[in-house]
Formats: sequence, C-alpha cells, structure tokens
Amino acid sequence: MRRIDGELILFWTLPVVALIWISAFFLFPGFVHPMSPTMSAEEVAAFYRENVSRVRYSMILFNWFAVGLIPILMLLAVQMRRMAHRTPIFSYSILASAACGPALFLLADMFWLLAAWRPARAPELTQMFNDLAWVTFATLVPYLIAQCVLLAVAIYWDRQPRPVFAPWVAHFNLLVAAALVPAAFTGLALEGPMAWNGLLPFWVKNIAIAVWIVVMGVVIGQTIRRQRLEDLEDKVAA
Amino acid sequence: MSAATTETVAPRESPSGSPLHRFVWHCRHNPKRELWFAWWAMVTFYNLFVVSFFVLARAQPPPSPAVDAQGAAQWFTDNHYGVLVGMGIIFLVIGLLIAPTNALIAYSMRRMSVSRSFAYSYLAMYALSAIPGMLLLCIVLTVGAMRPDRDPELIYWLYDLAFLSFTGTMGVFLIGSLVWMVAILLDKNRVFPKWFAYLNLANALTEVVVAPAWIFKNHVFGWNGLIAWWIDMVVFGIYTGVFIMLLRKMIEREDFGTGPLPGPLPGPLQELAPSKEHDPSELTRTAP
Repeated sequence: MRRIDGELILFWTLPVVALIWISAFFLFPGFVHPMSPTMSAEEVAAFYRENVSRVRYSMILFNWFAVGLIPILMLLAVQMRRMAHRTPIFSYSILASAACGPALFLLADMFWLLAAWRPARAPELTQMFNDLAWVTFATLVPYLIAQCVLLAVAIYWDRQPRPVFAPWVAHFNLLVAAALVPAAFTGLALEGPMAWNGLLPFWVKNIAIAVWIVVMGVVIGQTIRRQRLEDLEDKVAA
Repeated sequence: MSAATTETVAPRESPSGSPLHRFVWHCRHNPKRELWFAWWAMVTFYNLFVVSFFVLARAQPPPSPAVDAQGAAQWFTDNHYGVLVGMGIIFLVIGLLIAPTNALIAYSMRRMSVSRSFAYSYLAMYALSAIPGMLLLCIVLTVGAMRPDRDPELIYWLYDLAFLSFTGTMGVFLIGSLVWMVAILLDKNRVFPKWFAYLNLANALTEVVVAPAWIFKNHVFGWNGLIAWWIDMVVFGIYTGVFIMLLRKMIEREDFGTGPLPGPLPGPLQELAPSKEHDPSELTRTAP
C-alpha cells in the first residue's frame, strides 16, 4: 500500500475551486454581460449603486479562492521535475510565476471592491476604480501565457521512452497561449472585438482559461494515476 | 532529470549550414539548451524593455514629477498609442521572458557551493518584484492613456502612482542583489568572479539612494533626477550587461557537476581568483 502523500487531496481541490469560480463568475453582475468601457461615469456609478451587494459577495468569494489554482500548478511543477531535463529551469520558472497570476487578479478584485465601497463617491472616481479593475483583469495574461509556453517547451524537450506528458498536451498549451495574446493589447480599444468586454480579451481569453483548467485537470489526474501504477510495477519488478 | 544526466555531456559537433539549420540542431541536440533558452529569454526581455519603455511609451527616461495636472494629462495625450502598444508588449512577454531569467539567476546560485536557500530566496523575491516594480506601472499607464477625457486631477493621480511605483519599489531589488552578492562571496565553485559580487553591492546601493524620490520633486532627487534616474540607470545598465555576459560564460563552462566549474573565470584579475591549479584544497573542501 502506497503511503499517503497528499497529491490526490490537492488534485481534488480543483473541481471544488472551479465550481466556486463559476458561481462567483455568475454572481458578479458585470461578467455575464461584461460591462462596456464606453459606459459613462454616471452609468458606472449607477451600476455600483444598484448592484453593490452582488459585487461585494462575488468579489469576496473570488478573494478567498483566487489562489486556488496554485496547488494544481505545483502538481505540474512536480511532474516537470520528472521530465528528462538536465536543469530545473522549467520548474523554477513555474515556481517563479505561479503566484503572480493570482496576485494580479487580487489587485483587480480589490479595485472592484473599492469601487463598490462608497457607491455615493463622485462618479468619476468610481469610474476610475472600475477602469483599474477591468484593465487589471483583462491584461492579467502574462504569467498564464508564460506557464502555457514554458510547459509546452518542457514537454517537447522531455525526450525519454516514457515521457511525462503526451506531445498533444504541448500543442494544446501553445494554442491556449495564442488565445490569450490579444488580451494584452486590450487598452487600445474602447469598443469592438478588442475592447475589454469584446470577443477576444473577454470571451476567447476566459473560455481558453476555463478549457485549460478542465483539460489540464484531466491530464494531471491521469498522469498522477499512471505514475502511481508505474511506481507499483517498478516495486513489483524489484 | 535522471534519464538525461546519464547521457554524455560532451556535446556533439555543431553542424555547419544555414543559421536556421544550426538553430534547429541546437534546439534538438544542445545539452545546455534549457540554460540557453533562459539566457535568450533574458536578452530578449531587456531588448523589448528598451523598445517598450524608451522608444514606444517614452516612460523612460521618465517625465518630470514637477508638472501640474494639465502637464500630466498632456503627457498621456502626447504618448497615447506609444503607451498602449508599449505596455501591451510588456503584458505579452514579461511572464514568459522574466520567469526563465529569474530561474537562470537562481540556477547560478544553485550551482554554487552555498545553500539552496539563496537560489530560492532570489527566485521568490524577483518573482514578486515584477508586480509592484513594473506591472502596476503598465496597468496604471494603460488606464491613464485609454480615457484622455478623464478629469486631469485623476490623470495626475494615475501619473504619480505609475512612476512612483516603478521608481519607488526598492526593497526586493535591494535585498535580492544582496542575496546574490553574499552567495557569490561565499561560493567555492568559481561560478562568478568575486568582483561581480561588488557590482551587486553597487546595484543594491542604487535602491538605497532612490528613496528620496518619494519625498522630492526636483531635478536631483526626483524620480527623473540625476540620482534616482540617471546615475541609477547607468549602474543598472552596466550591472545588467555584465551579468548577461557572466551568465553566458557560466553556461559555456557548465559541466553539470557539483564541484568547481571548469575553465578560466572571465574578467580582470584572473590570476587572483582561486583555481584548481592554485589551490587544490579548494576542491576537497567543496567535494559533495
């Protein structure tokens, strides 16, 4: 019987965190029909006056669970250490970037909560906090792009008889990284497909992140299970 | 890692042929490709930093802290697209390029005879540093530029937040440089020449003398002034150029062992540096 190392506990936090994120996403009134950057200061202030409770509750929920994906990234980092690499450069890179995505999201989270804190504030100030929140949220892609591309290169360079991940996982990660690229330039447009509520920085980016979480969740789960079977076989053979 | 380390480290001869052919060969066969990947990420990052901050956004050298609200609003109007495109480039690449950069510098400390704590401390500090030290400026400048009709008093506040967060994020770079310095001074594996430790000290001191930028708006102490920008940028530029060169030498000398790195140390005063020939006891002291 294998000793309990807790990896499966960390792994099964993923569906719980995903469920909470999805709930918070629908609870926040500004996401389902994402708020437009062309809203006037008065409209933005009215939005926070009317929705103050839902903004607060959804953002408190996000505040609690924004770092929820870090354990999953650490499971990935542990798998990267099993790859046929000569140096820990890739796992170090994942370690160095894992907390930065959630930290940026927490910044956006606090700007949203600040905007809702005193809804009677001058509308221009509420609009500025709203802008800060949305720009921070829309552009929080740098570390997600990094994790996808670094994981892909790490997989391509994992040349051994039993590679840790299949090559398609690398292709998939490059595809997700490409889907996140337009969001970096969201500041250039206030309307249309490149605005922060538009097709590319909002829908394509967030759907890509959701698909990544589901697909990589399954891949990591299968890899951990296979690793345990292989360890067992090695033990029996020994 | 275990499967690869049993292979021979001696590189096969690099093929001649077109540059593309050689590039592909190195990607597939170079035993040090992970280190070279990180090194090229670092070189690319500093080049894109110059393009984004100096050429496109004109956020470096920074505009004056002594302007009034109209002046701050005017700065955003003048640099509208430069800021938005330049900051977009940073959002795109900073994670991908800076994470391997910090990983490579942490690796240099891992290769030393010192505790792993040095590498991990540096990695954690510099991973944190990007957000207050650069990304906050990128976010705030984007917000400032994207709505030119905003009340100038609010744009003024964004302007101050952007440039003060960039110049005024000091501690992580200060302590980070000192961690690297101490590791180099203690190291017996000859990863870097000892004089580079003192260049780390010089870089750390720039983070000390930048502190008056939080208090003064004049041309000497202000965030665009002689000390906080011009002297600091010269020291930082030299420091960065030197560590890029020294990390390159480290990768060339890397033998994937745990003892002293082979080959001569780069730089002046080589004859004073400890080496296998000069001090054999060096080897026995650091044997794993």
